[in-house]
Amino acid sequence: MSALDEVLARAQRLVGRWEDEDCGTVTVKDFCRYAAALNDADYIRRAREQDAAGAPVEAPALFLAATMSWEDGPPERELRPDGLAARESPCTDGLAVRQVHGGQSVRLLRPPVAGSRVTASRAVTSAERKQGRSGPFVLLGLATRFTTADGTELTAVDETIIVQEALDPAGAA
Amino acid sequence: MNTPVAGDSCPPRHYTHSTVQLFRFSAVSWNSHRIHYDSAFAASEGFEDVVVQSTLHGETLTRYALTWAGPNSRLETVSWRNRTTAVAGEPLTWTATVRAVEGARVSLDVAVVKADGTPCVTGSVELALV
Repeated sequence: MSALDEVLARAQRLVGRWEDEDCGTVTVKDFCRYAAALNDADYIRRAREQDAAGAPVEAPALFLAATMSWEDGPPERELRPDGLAARESPCTDGLAVRQVHGGQSVRLLRPPVAGSRVTASRAVTSAERKQGRSGPFVLLGLATRFTTADGTELTAVDETIIVQEALDPAGAA
Repeated sequence: MNTPVAGDSCPPRHYTHSTVQLFRFSAVSWNSHRIHYDSAFAASEGFEDVVVQSTLHGETLTRYALTWAGPNSRLETVSWRNRTTAVAGEPLTWTATVRAVEGARVSLDVAVVKADGTPCVTGSVELALV
């Protein structure tokens, strides 16, 4: 069985199985550091002024969607050779593959506010074998729904991941 | 901004992501994929340099659209498809065209375009004018 066949078989077994991940309590510092990486000094100034005044501070619009993982880890020894953790690279553990994001669709329902505890519910939603210009690949569909502790939905994310055979299979498993 | 109508083009914006920005965005989004900060590893996967994160494309396209629409606008949805990779130091242009205006909702077709005109990201943004 090829690496792509194995990815496909593993993914098909996971389709529709939702898992929850505790994202913890989001903070003004989390938001400001995210904004800093986008060179958004205006957001930081405004957020800090709101926080000092005791006003609610909303996250940058795509803060939840862009954060790849909410895990505490893992340590480096548990990463794949490409640097991805198992959580960010579903169905590829031990396989010689490379992967990139295919695209993303984000629906904003309510902005997350600093101090909220957030849960991410995530599932593989589809897995298909495809043929592209650069060869065969598996297209994984993933869905993530972010909610607050009282069940209010904040952000809905649907995304695709393109999984291809490694260019150097010996070094990529 | 004047009241938008379908077919309006937003002024394009030119931008180049630095390697420092890609590293910081990977760090803050807990994205340890080496193609975004390790140029030798990126080359081993066939890329010219470290790769701009998909989510960073989404962020910057969204911000471009919101800046065009002004302070009384709010993002409702954004979706994008990565057509080819962009790398650090590469001159990029963000473009947008108004696809539809329905009441206080504006839909835009957006893209990130390489210097040779090749779109590396295409998508849509829906904004509410509040």
